[in-house]
Amino acid sequence: MNYSFDFQSVTRNFGPLLDGLVVTLQLTAAANLIGLTLGFVVALMVMSRWGVVRWPATMFVEFFRCTPALVQIVWFFYCVPMLFNVFLGSVTMGIVALGLNLTAFNAEAYRASIQAVPREQLDAGIALGLNPLQRILYIVLPNAFRASVPVLLTNGIGIFQQSALVAIVAVQDLMYQGKTLATQTYRPIETFTIVALIYFAVSFPVGQLVGYLERRRATLAE
Amino acid sequence: MIDRATAPLVSVSGLQKAYGALQVLQGIDLTMKPGERLVVIGPSGGGKSTLLRVMMGLENINGGSITFAGKPYIHAGATPAKTAIDVQVRRSIGMVFQHYTLFPHLNVLQNLILAPCKVRGEKKSAATERANTLLIRFGLGQKATAFPSQLSGGQKQRVAIARALMLDPKLMLFDEVTSALDPELVGEVEQVILQLARQNMPMMIVTHDMWFAKNIASRVLFCAGGFIVEDGPPEQVLGAPKEERTKDFIDRVFHIRQ
Amino acid sequence: MAPLDFSVLLRFQDALLTGLLTTLELTLICIVLGCAIGFFVGLARTSDNRILRGVSGFYVEFFRGTPVLIQLFWIFFCLPLLLGTELSNFTSAVIALTLYMGAITSETFRASLRSIGREQYDACVALGLPRWTQTTSVVLPQAVLRAIPTLLSNCISLFKESALVSAVGMTDLMFIGSNISNNTARPVEVLTAVALIYFVIAFPLTRAVTFIEQRILTKLAV
Repeated sequence: MNYSFDFQSVTRNFGPLLDGLVVTLQLTAAANLIGLTLGFVVALMVMSRWGVVRWPATMFVEFFRCTPALVQIVWFFYCVPMLFNVFLGSVTMGIVALGLNLTAFNAEAYRASIQAVPREQLDAGIALGLNPLQRILYIVLPNAFRASVPVLLTNGIGIFQQSALVAIVAVQDLMYQGKTLATQTYRPIETFTIVALIYFAVSFPVGQLVGYLERRRATLAE
Repeated sequence: MIDRATAPLVSVSGLQKAYGALQVLQGIDLTMKPGERLVVIGPSGGGKSTLLRVMMGLENINGGSITFAGKPYIHAGATPAKTAIDVQVRRSIGMVFQHYTLFPHLNVLQNLILAPCKVRGEKKSAATERANTLLIRFGLGQKATAFPSQLSGGQKQRVAIARALMLDPKLMLFDEVTSALDPELVGEVEQVILQLARQNMPMMIVTHDMWFAKNIASRVLFCAGGFIVEDGPPEQVLGAPKEERTKDFIDRVFHIRQ
Repeated sequence: MAPLDFSVLLRFQDALLTGLLTTLELTLICIVLGCAIGFFVGLARTSDNRILRGVSGFYVEFFRGTPVLIQLFWIFFCLPLLLGTELSNFTSAVIALTLYMGAITSETFRASLRSIGREQYDACVALGLPRWTQTTSVVLPQAVLRAIPTLLSNCISLFKESALVSAVGMTDLMFIGSNISNNTARPVEVLTAVALIYFVIAFPLTRAVTFIEQRILTKLAV
């Protein structure tokens, strides 16, 4: 290997990378806002006893979980403007696409943790004379929320990584800026390595936090 | 020459065990003769299960030593991690646990023959034959190809006992083997252990079942606070305990209020 | 907008089929190689050797902490420069997705190794089993059984992530789909069809995961 590294040509152009990182973080934050709220609503719909509510929600979740995120994003960028005759800004489109994807995964996380609340807990609620709403508010949801935090965090940081896909449809996020810079400087190794490290520097601490929370839950459960 | 009938099978001296700052065994001395059936009773956290786990060589110790059938077996080292355990001696002891610990991915027969084939290099056919004999004796003749998840708790525990016996142990340890069972299944497991008792199998049993203790014990130990508080024949320890703490405990488990 | 015309798909069914076959071929190769790597890396991460643990831990965290797209770009653009040789699209894609699969399956194997309870090890000691027998006859068979459902989920993830190789010009289902969509100016029909193809394969597999998981959990419940 006789490649001579030149990280300076990248560090000199750090500005665009930072701009890209800001866009990536905006995408992530907004998508998480959608995913955390809408995901909860969809989870409740999936568990509804009425088929009219349950089926569309289930279809939504399964469809987003069983197709590539890239297909969803490309579909969104090309088809939504044609079908509905709207074109939002490209960042907004990215947010909606990523947000809906995260909604599906978070809905599943909420559903799983709600259904994992042990039957005895509900029985105890009945035995204590709580009404159905009280049982949900005071027993099911607090239990479920705590259980779902690690998965929601994992999904949230997953969407941070998936957000790199919007570069393919020309949203100027970190990945896009990295690609541009790599072409301009003819320094793909240095550029892509630094871009990868930036992504890693954000993801890794969150991953460690998830691990810590899970270990703590496991010890508390004993 | 040592008289074989009276030479100790197990002798424990100065045994100490701590989990961190918690002293669980605080210097246990104990000798057990061949053919004896020791039942260990006492309050939770009193050290009785730990004593059995140490006997099985599952735990490091902080002090003391154990000899088994005249051979050095376990010896405390400079640190707990340096506890010396003779693996050859350990193989002559069998143990049955509270939660069955069958291997869930193997069927009953495979559970039984795994150790004989792998530890002693016994032929599969020979081990299978011995296993089937044991299973029939324990009323499990029909269950050889069943998986643990298809058995009741009582059946699982009988399989676990059979599995331990496959290695012809010279001492059997039973750690609360009926505590996880539904009440109606306790009897079938205790019957199997009583059957072994009639064949003079030396055993140490930790149990909360006083009826069973009375029926099987040749000697009862009352363990509390990491010490052996009282040690004697079942009529004495269970019927007319000398120590106040033993009396309190016996009274409470028999619900006798004066 | 123009009325939808799905007949366009019939004209391109052969091309789409070829793309699908490439996607499946790529996915299968990476599943086999990735699982093999993942198994050994999973073992390495639970090993007593600190160097082995450190190196394997770094590999896994890095691949889980960065977008797959950047991994792909890195291997596609940078690896040839470092090695000083050309790599075909297919080879680059296989290397990238295999390394990704190796990282996620190693976590699966590690988790299933850790899920084996203390009592199982106690039982091995009580039966006097040698260390080797304990590992090969008791620990590994159970760990692999427990890992199967999650491994299958990992395979589905890989199948979906494989759509990314279209971004480096590999002619998989996604690439051919977007090409047709661009050339015919019928993105709604074509991209929807592409999404459905992914869905039709991934969805039954997710159902299978749930089914198999229940079977295995019942079997291993002791």
